[in-house]
Amino acid sequence: MKDIQICVGSSCHLKGSYDIIECTKKAISEYHLEDKVILRATFCLGKCGVAGVSIKVDDEIITGVTVSNFQEVFKKYVLDRI
Amino acid sequence: MMLNNYFAEVGYLSINHDKEQLCGDHIQVIRPDSKTTVLVLADGLGSGVKASILSTLTSKMIATMIANNISMIECVKAIAETLPVCNERNIAYSTFSIIKITENKFVEIYNYDNPMPFYLHNGKVVNLNMTCETIDNKRIYHTKIVASCDDTFVLLSDGVVHAGIGQILNFGWDLPQIHAYVEAVYDSKTSAKSLATTLIDYVNKLYDGKPGDDSTCAIIKIRQRKQVNLMMGPPSTKEDDEKMLSLFFGKEGKHIVCGGTTSHIVAEYLKKPLLYDLDYLDRNIPPTAKIEGVDLVTEGVITMNKVLENVKNYYGDNSSYFDWCYLPDGASQITRLLLEEATDINFFVGCAINAAHQQEGLALAFSTKMQIIDEMTKTLRLLDKNIKISYF
Repeated sequence: MKDIQICVGSSCHLKGSYDIIECTKKAISEYHLEDKVILRATFCLGKCGVAGVSIKVDDEIITGVTVSNFQEVFKKYVLDRI
Repeated sequence: MMLNNYFAEVGYLSINHDKEQLCGDHIQVIRPDSKTTVLVLADGLGSGVKASILSTLTSKMIATMIANNISMIECVKAIAETLPVCNERNIAYSTFSIIKITENKFVEIYNYDNPMPFYLHNGKVVNLNMTCETIDNKRIYHTKIVASCDDTFVLLSDGVVHAGIGQILNFGWDLPQIHAYVEAVYDSKTSAKSLATTLIDYVNKLYDGKPGDDSTCAIIKIRQRKQVNLMMGPPSTKEDDEKMLSLFFGKEGKHIVCGGTTSHIVAEYLKKPLLYDLDYLDRNIPPTAKIEGVDLVTEGVITMNKVLENVKNYYGDNSSYFDWCYLPDGASQITRLLLEEATDINFFVGCAINAAHQQEGLALAFSTKMQIIDEMTKTLRLLDKNIKISYF
């Protein structure tokens, strides 16, 4: 089971948390991962200084997630590890 | 703070005669002491500048006299005898209604030529049993009653009863219809201002957006005082966490926690998990979270900025009311708690600077937070909310 947390704190919110949540939801249903992934929100992960949204997959924090690099990040940290 | 007492909540709204910039109705509210509330609604003859000056003058004179401990009947007599009468129309230049509530309980009403005031008791309209007195050829109605909690007094200018005349309704919106409407929309949780807004919004609809007269609704609602506590931001030094949190949770009433870091500290203090909601109920407002023992947990600056917008709008024409009164997002929830539920609000403001938020181009600077709190408390005070702010 993969645990994905997406930061919805003030800073990430302004940098596009909403879009990243939507992208993640879409990817989960596209790859039929409903039983393999838990998607949650979180407040600040303490990495606000970077462009893009911070997400946490299991214990690893990934910063700088944007709509344009989302597929890449999702593949690397979620798809390839399931 | 003494909470087991009552408060006379005042709320009013006017719409202007179509194409007029000034309103010919004027409301003057004074609170000579903490337990006395006086509201005067004056409607100046005609519309525009002349009407506005006449009604302002009339209501200010009455309010000033009452504030100087002149008895109601003396004030009414003085005004009735001095109000000039229009030569052409042979009617006085301004009509007025006065309501004075002492000890948040004893109500005295005078009415001269405005639609007859009424009140709601347990959500049902009760007609006031008015006696008529003629002073200087003016028929002035008067009554005294003892109010109980949640009694809601409604004062109107004649623009309201004329709404829709010759357009949507043949003979305007008469008082029995208005009574039925107010009974239908009444909810004991709705604030005085919001009830006035709902009514005036309907008047505007009856006029098809082009009011044929200035229309005003003023509401005074006797309600129980209620306290709400809001915390935003962690203290500037970690050692003060305990102090701030124990003071905050020691307060009676609902507790709102705003801010990501702040929620972490609160969850730790209460030894309860911080549970996040994933769903963006409004894409511009970050989702809320839950901590057992806290009534509402939200993000900080962005949410509060939206709350500030709502609070300012409420002080004005209250047009956003129809959104925040039902929407489930964090900002709407806070707005409802502050504007509808609370009479007394304690702000606990932590002054820690979130280093990650101080980057250029990110609208989250520390000064932004302080500015929001400052403007918010100022506006809430103008709305008669009893505000206390503590900085940590």
